[in-house]
Amino acid sequence: MAVTIRHLEEFDEVESFDCGDEALNNYLKRHALTNQQKSSIGVTYVALDESAPRAVLGYFTLATSSVPRDSLPKKYVRGLPPYDLPLILLARLAVDRRFAGRGLGDALITEAFKITLRVADEVGCRCIVTDAYRDRVGWYAKYGFIPIEGTARDGPRKMFLDVRTIRAALKSGSVQE
Amino acid sequence: MPATVKEKSKNTAPSPKVRKSKFQADLAPSEDSMVRVLKAELQMTSNTDFLSDALALFRWAVSERRRGHIIVSESSTGERKILVLPRLERVAPQVALPHVDIQWNDKELESLAKLASGQPAQPTRALVRAMRH
Repeated sequence: MAVTIRHLEEFDEVESFDCGDEALNNYLKRHALTNQQKSSIGVTYVALDESAPRAVLGYFTLATSSVPRDSLPKKYVRGLPPYDLPLILLARLAVDRRFAGRGLGDALITEAFKITLRVADEVGCRCIVTDAYRDRVGWYAKYGFIPIEGTARDGPRKMFLDVRTIRAALKSGSVQE
Repeated sequence: MPATVKEKSKNTAPSPKVRKSKFQADLAPSEDSMVRVLKAELQMTSNTDFLSDALALFRWAVSERRRGHIIVSESSTGERKILVLPRLERVAPQVALPHVDIQWNDKELESLAKLASGQPAQPTRALVRAMRH
């Protein structure tokens, strides 16, 4: 299966998408395109099989955000540039369960990392942050996401990955388990 | 009362002469006709005014695309058309992502600041493999 990843478009087939999570299904079917085209809240990228280039097999949504410098504890801001902290929010990532286990999640997150590096090069960003479901924390940790402390026990877990780490992965072959 | 003498300021620089540049274009007959029609529609008589307005519009389009904005026309029924002009795409950023606010509590902010201000972690094997693709 040859997979293409591109922006979500108006006539993409999303109605049959089922990742097993109603909130993620509903977002793709009802909100993703509007948020991308009209509300400018997030940009959704979709994975498609080249032989059926309208049927969405998986997706992720990105947005930028920033944390005001004066909201960060003083003891840490010395290590940061004197500006607000720019970051990328990986807002959602989901794969249709009929295509699970074929590496689509890996392909999607890899594309998200590449976009993150392009954004970092063009407008600057320090890290990528995601809200991971509790049962997916291990999957994100595999790529180096580190849990952010202080998130509520029952909700999604905020996780952090430094852009410098992604850049190092691109440049270097040195690895750490 | 002593007579006041108005001293001529030695520092008064002559106002710089605004240089106007001439613009000459070889237009195909169809383009020439298009210019005439547009001038008539817009009730313009001079080519200078025409060029000036066209320039203002083009300048705006360039600035919008440079900021990553798309240029859209929308009909009264909501039908939308996006302007795609290859030359404009040259100034558009490769990636334009919208900006959102994230809710953080104090503990999360402390943890985030600690992570962001420290040394970056070494990439994991999965990340290195992903970035090789």
